[in-house]
Amino acid sequence: MNNNLKKAGTSLLNALSNHSELVMQAYFSGSIEETDYSPKVVKNLIDLKIMWRPENERGLRLRPALRTLLEEGLQDESNRQIDANIGSSLGSLSTLAEHYKDALNQGRYREADAHLSDLTERVYSLTDMLATNVRLIWQRISNEFGYVSTVDAKIRENELAQSQVSELLNQLALFQFDQLSQLAGSHRELRTLLVVTLQSSFAHCTQELSLAQSKLIDLLGRFREFKGRTRLLKGFVLHMEQKPDFTPQNYTKLTKVPELFNVSHNIVKPASIDVNQVDQEHEMLSLVQKIKLINRNRQNSRSMTDSSPIVLQDSAAIALEESRLKQAVEQFFCDVIDGGQNVTALSYYADKELDFDPEVWLYQVIGGYHGLPDEDKAFFAVETLGEPDKQFSGNFVITDIELGLR
Amino acid sequence: MINQLGSVVELLLSGQFICQTTNEDAYRYLQSGENRQLVEQQLSILNRRLASAADEQVFFSAYDDIGESEREQLGKQFEDVSNHLLPLIEWMLLVQEALNKDLSLSQGMNLRLNELQTVIEDTPAYAEQLNKISRYAMFGSKANELDAQLKLIFKRLVELGYLIRPNQDKQIYTVTGKIDYLFDVIKFIDETEQLSLAQQAEDAMAQTNLI
Repeated sequence: MNNNLKKAGTSLLNALSNHSELVMQAYFSGSIEETDYSPKVVKNLIDLKIMWRPENERGLRLRPALRTLLEEGLQDESNRQIDANIGSSLGSLSTLAEHYKDALNQGRYREADAHLSDLTERVYSLTDMLATNVRLIWQRISNEFGYVSTVDAKIRENELAQSQVSELLNQLALFQFDQLSQLAGSHRELRTLLVVTLQSSFAHCTQELSLAQSKLIDLLGRFREFKGRTRLLKGFVLHMEQKPDFTPQNYTKLTKVPELFNVSHNIVKPASIDVNQVDQEHEMLSLVQKIKLINRNRQNSRSMTDSSPIVLQDSAAIALEESRLKQAVEQFFCDVIDGGQNVTALSYYADKELDFDPEVWLYQVIGGYHGLPDEDKAFFAVETLGEPDKQFSGNFVITDIELGLR
Repeated sequence: MINQLGSVVELLLSGQFICQTTNEDAYRYLQSGENRQLVEQQLSILNRRLASAADEQVFFSAYDDIGESEREQLGKQFEDVSNHLLPLIEWMLLVQEALNKDLSLSQGMNLRLNELQTVIEDTPAYAEQLNKISRYAMFGSKANELDAQLKLIFKRLVELGYLIRPNQDKQIYTVTGKIDYLFDVIKFIDETEQLSLAQQAEDAMAQTNLI
């Protein structure tokens, strides 16, 4: 082991951990403000080949190798690089394998060992690269290219990913296992590395990639569909702006009604509770408890089934109803003044064929009388007609009101 | 106890659109050809059959044989659909633009009323558009407050089956498959009337790009 190299490596890693703030700053923003850090630190980092300056007068950036390390370590989705240079890796593999065989044949075992460990390293890094690439592509698929917002951008990203997948597949085609197995010959170590390891990684990778490819095409279809839908909607609005009187012809008049518009009418209405069924008593009781007011109103003209959806903010209409009642009472008072005769509220009610609830009408007449100013009140004489309650003493039930002039 | 077949037939006969969002059990039940045949048998007694739209994502019941009264019924229904088209389309575009998702509404999407309301309140153009939409006869809002308008629109859309509200305590709505059905309707009208809507939109967009 080279002592110098070991020392240099340790100091590099130390520098990374000592200046981790700076490194992450550079990772996220691309470059750093040199003035924020001491020149000594910056120079040290440049010397250690952690940072570099692409051009004069430009900010310091992270070295690409370090950036890749961080992206992979953090599984950061901003990493969209796919390294697909399998051809050259394969070339170096076969060269190393030749070195190894030569060294073995000539009995230089230490050298052969070094070559073999080098070769092992290369093979594993190749398989790791393949696995990383596949994982990167799947990561992008699984969040549906969430890092870009518009559908157009998603479509472009998808196309990029597709081209990367096909590039990877092309590169994978460079694997020729018959040649590799010839190269490995009868050496057990070489066979495990070059044939078994590579083959299993190759099989896994191709399978995943073909899945990814079909998924990408699926997604592209969905994005296009979204785009098509948006265009359809916008087109319709535009069309309506240009031809506001456009209505589609009634397709149901065609001899053969299109499937889409053949929607049958609902014939099943919710069933009711069976009052004779003891099982359902609990439900019925809870329903009955909810009934708060029984209002026997004669307004049959308003059928509830055909009413328009409940509009919560209908307060204007309610106010109108009230003021109609008020007006009718005022009219009643005026008619009493005009006629000069005693009139009972209910007979007036019958005469005019008013459609309020009679009880509400009586209340409003009493309320209307008490609402008058004192000097106006003096004009009227009010007599309440009714009888004491049969059952509960002390209660007087008003059945009608007689109104006259004093 | 009512069995699955019974509940599916009941749903269909009560005029509901069955999709994965509205009723997952019923939707799954209808995935099997055998079950579908059973449903068809029951429906055929009442002159109805099973129909589907949007690549079998929504199921509904259709008339088997269309006579005079059925035709009249369908005609009335169609008028409703065609009257609802523009308000619905404008609403969908508004939601899509306000949420800046750039994705048109489709089954299973969740809409958060509060989120939508904040965006619309902050953008006068959206507020104006919402006001316009809420005045359509389909929604028939008389309110001046944005909050009431938005709530009414959502309530009405739930009534019409375009949205469901999975949790009554929360203002979160889920888009149902009926929206996909609606897109099928628009596509059908586009093709039948030869409106080439997509082309119109594209041209308009190209023009704004030039400016």
